[in-house]
Amino acid sequence: MAKDRKLRVLLGTRKGTYIVEGDRRRAHWKVGPAAHEGSEVYHVVADPRHPGDVYAAVNNSFWGPQVQRSRNWGRTWQEVATPLTARTKDRQPQFNDSDPTTPVPRPLNNLWHIEPGLPSDPDTLYLGADPHLLFRTHDRGRSWEPIDSINNHPRKKDWAPGAGGACLHTILLDPREPNRLYIGLSAVGTFRSEDAGATWTPTNKGVEAPFLPDKFPETGQCVHDVAADAANPDTFYRQDHGGMYVSHDRMAKWVRIGKPLGDDFGFTVASPRSAPGRAYFVRLNGMARVTGEGHFQVHEWNDRTRRWRKLLSPNAFPGHFGVQREGITTDDLDPPGIYVGTTTGQLFISPDAGKTWSLVPFSFPGIHSVSVANPG
Amino acid sequence: MPGGKRREPVSAKLEVHLDSWLREFGPRGNERVEGGSVGDVLDVLEERYPRLRYKIRDETGRLRRYVRVFVDGEDVSATTALATPLAHAQTIDILHSIAGG
Repeated sequence: MAKDRKLRVLLGTRKGTYIVEGDRRRAHWKVGPAAHEGSEVYHVVADPRHPGDVYAAVNNSFWGPQVQRSRNWGRTWQEVATPLTARTKDRQPQFNDSDPTTPVPRPLNNLWHIEPGLPSDPDTLYLGADPHLLFRTHDRGRSWEPIDSINNHPRKKDWAPGAGGACLHTILLDPREPNRLYIGLSAVGTFRSEDAGATWTPTNKGVEAPFLPDKFPETGQCVHDVAADAANPDTFYRQDHGGMYVSHDRMAKWVRIGKPLGDDFGFTVASPRSAPGRAYFVRLNGMARVTGEGHFQVHEWNDRTRRWRKLLSPNAFPGHFGVQREGITTDDLDPPGIYVGTTTGQLFISPDAGKTWSLVPFSFPGIHSVSVANPG
Repeated sequence: MPGGKRREPVSAKLEVHLDSWLREFGPRGNERVEGGSVGDVLDVLEERYPRLRYKIRDETGRLRRYVRVFVDGEDVSATTALATPLAHAQTIDILHSIAGG
């Protein structure tokens, strides 16, 4: 079969899924028709192990959540088994926020993140959901197993939701060690498992929780997003409610790197495969939750020199832009492309590691997530 | 029946009307269903049309937030809801409230 030379940008938006097609030059873009119209789509991701397969976390306010899959790059979609469900009765009851003494069953709320497994497990995917739920499939979504070590965690009754809900939004796999995975949960923090999800260790040491009386608790930090460094899978970059951090030891401890920026609030971070030691953050005003400098800006962290660099001129794109937790990504090309979607529907693209930027000439609905399917 | 008390019916055969959105997952037209309560009727519908499962009720069995159920024209969604008895009912309308933005 001929190689697919297209580079696709996959968008989850407030009103559906969009797939934007380009190529290695990353200069011209074609916006495809919307799918899942009217649904909040929190994440869309291609499965690189099965070219053409795309998964979407579709949250419809009428029907509830659905995992949808396309086998043809988004031309048609079908609901695959959504892990509501069969095992719900086995789950510990959740607690009604207004009456914490009375347990009530709480349904699956929104689906937040779908993570394809390693190439060695070609039919495995992970799914993070609200309320703080993790699922795994070994048959490409036909059936899902709940990961009870998180779903029924003994401390779960103490876990509060963040403003976006009780979302499990980050799932990272160690490419060297199939049993090692990491997760991030809003208002709870990050955890690492060394035994394929059987047990978990909290990994929030050094991360400040400015909204709690104990500023450095074991858990309770509101992690917003984490990216792994592709060249060194022991290194992670973290955007937390309490600032920007790096860890060089599999999240055993974190060091705050964002202080030189002043307000180092934000929701999102990405680290490109072709530029190890670099991480891209979109710094937001912590109160307004939009770019606070009056223009669109991306900050690059160089982990070797430990220095920050602004990638855009203040004159390039004036305005106040919101960017959510899945709102930035990079491609695998060299130099890496950087892709940023905003809550007001702009899609910014740099084809050259941030030297130049352009705006896709299409106004999308508010963008929740941006991911890339690299050319074959 | 001479000397006997007439038994009250406990269930009814009635017409279920779904709005156009739900018809994507269920019957295209009105559906004749027998049941003693709204919950019973939904059980039957979901058995006949598996794609309706979890669209009207979530997996804990509660009506989804924007679903409205009318029994003979009366909105029971926020009152007796799934437990509403249907002994004398003739129609159920399952609709969605206006929401969004």
